[in-house]
Amino acid sequence: MSNSHLFLPSGFIRTPLQNGLGRYIPQLQRITIKFCKSHGGSRGVRDFIESDLMEFAKTNPGTVVYLKPRRHRSPCMVAEYLNGEREYLSCHEFSRDEVYKWLSYMCTRSGIPVMRFRKYQHTDYPTIQGVWNPFTHQAPEINVAEFPHEVLSKPINHGPTATEQLIEIFKKTQLEDPANKPPN
Amino acid sequence: MVLDTAVYCSRLTAAVNVISKRNFKAHWVAPTLRELQRRKVIEEDRGGGPKIFHRSTFLEWNYDAEIFAFSNRLGEKFNDSSLRAALTHKSYIERETARLSDIGVESNLQFQDNEALAQKGGEIMSKFINGYLRAVFTQVPEELIRAMHDFLTSNPTLETVAKHIGLGDLMLCADFPCKTETYVKSFKAVVAALAESSGEERARIFVQDLVITQLYGQDVNELWNPVDPIGNLTAILKREGKAEPEFRLIRQAGSNSILAVYYVGVYSDKNFISEGAGESLEVAKEMAAREALKKFFHTEDSMRALPFGRQLKNIQSKIAQLENQPNVPLSEWISPKIMSAVH
Repeated sequence: MSNSHLFLPSGFIRTPLQNGLGRYIPQLQRITIKFCKSHGGSRGVRDFIESDLMEFAKTNPGTVVYLKPRRHRSPCMVAEYLNGEREYLSCHEFSRDEVYKWLSYMCTRSGIPVMRFRKYQHTDYPTIQGVWNPFTHQAPEINVAEFPHEVLSKPINHGPTATEQLIEIFKKTQLEDPANKPPN
Repeated sequence: MVLDTAVYCSRLTAAVNVISKRNFKAHWVAPTLRELQRRKVIEEDRGGGPKIFHRSTFLEWNYDAEIFAFSNRLGEKFNDSSLRAALTHKSYIERETARLSDIGVESNLQFQDNEALAQKGGEIMSKFINGYLRAVFTQVPEELIRAMHDFLTSNPTLETVAKHIGLGDLMLCADFPCKTETYVKSFKAVVAALAESSGEERARIFVQDLVITQLYGQDVNELWNPVDPIGNLTAILKREGKAEPEFRLIRQAGSNSILAVYYVGVYSDKNFISEGAGESLEVAKEMAAREALKKFFHTEDSMRALPFGRQLKNIQSKIAQLENQPNVPLSEWISPKIMSAVH
C-alpha cells in the first residue's frame, strides 16, 4: 500500500498568503465559460447560464464571470486563480447540475495544483516545550556524581505497581477472614 | 479600454492545469501533432520562452467588473475614483499621452496617478505595523520592532501580498511584466485609498489581515539578534540592580569528539535564568546569554502565538495608542516589573 506508483505530486497542506489567518479571501479570480449557442453538447451549459448563473454571480461577488459564445466548439470553462494558476475543464455534454457542481468545485479551490496530501495538518511551530534530548528530565546531581553511586547506580525504584498494591489489599482481607470465622 | 497588444506581450512560462478526461485520438493524428510540437518548441526557443500576454489583451476583459470584484474579494468598500487613481501609474499616463500626441489627438486625459497615494499609504502602513508590533511584543526593545517592521515592509513581502490579491492584472503601468516597485507602489496606494474611502480603522484591519500575517511562520529571533548578547545581559542585570551573570557548565557530552555538546547555564546570584547549548564552551555561553535575553523579551520558541483576525478585536484601541510610542531601546532596557516597582 504505497504511493510511489502514483504520478500525482504529493505535499503538505498549504494555503496562499496565509489565507484565513487574517481574513478569508476567495481565491477564484475569474471564470470564463465558453459555449456554443446552438450545438447540443452545450445544452447543459446554456441551461445553467439561463437559470443558475445569476445566483452564482451574486453569491460570489469576488469572482468575475465571463461568457464567451463560440460557434461550432464544445463548451469548456477556464478558472483563473489569484496565484496565477489556470484550470481548464471541458463541459461537453454536461447536464446543468454537473456544470453547477464543477463550478462550485472551482470556487472552493485555491490555485495550488491537485496533490496527494501527506498529512492533513501542518504547523510552522512543531514543538513548544522543545524537542527531547538525552539531557531532558535528567537530575542535575549526575553532573557531580562519582560512579558507582549509592542511589544512581541502582535501578530506579518506582514503588509498588497497581497490581502489586491490589494483591497486598487482597491478602490483608484473606488474613482477616479466617481469624473471624467461628470454630467448627 | 483598448491597450496596445505589442507592449503587453512577453516571453515567460505559462501553465494550464487540465482536469483530464479520457480522450480518443486516432493513430494517424500523432505525426501531425508531433510536427506541430516540434515547430512550437523551435519558435519558443528562438523567442526565449512561450509568449505571455497581459490579461487585458484578451477579448473577455471588463475592467469595471474586475475592479468591482477586487473590492468584493477583499470585503472592503472603495471610492471608485480613489481606487482607480491608486492603480494608475505615472508611466502609464506618460505613455498614453505620448501615444495620443503621436497620432495627433489632443490629450486631455483625466487620469490621476498614484504617487501621492503611495507615499501616504507607505506612511500609514508603517504606522499600523508599528502599532501592532508594540502592542503584541510589549517587552521587546525597539531595535527588534524595527527589524520586524523592515521585514514586513520589504519589497519581496509586499510584492507577494500584492500579487496574491490580484493587483497584477488591474494595474495600469507601462512595464510588463510589472516590476517589483510597481507592485509595491500599487499596494501602498490601495491602502491609502482604503483609508480615504472607509476610514483609518478599516485600513488598519486591512493591513493587519494582509501584511502582518506574513510574520506568521517567521522566527523573530532570526530577523534580529543583539551583537553582543553577553554584554547586553550584563548591562541589563546591572541596571536592574541584580548580581552579575555567572556562567556554569551544566551538561557536557563527547568533549573529545566532533559532536561535542556543552550546556551552559546563566545564573544571577545563584538564581537560574536560562541555559544554552553549543558545540564549544564559547558558543554555549553565547547561546545561554541569547536565551536569557529571549526570556526577558518574551520571544522564546515557546512564546504565545501571534494574534490575528478576531483575536485583535479587544486590543485595537491599544494598538492605535501605541502607534506613536516607541518601545524602550536595548541600551535602556529594563524588566517592566522592576520599572513599575521603581515608578
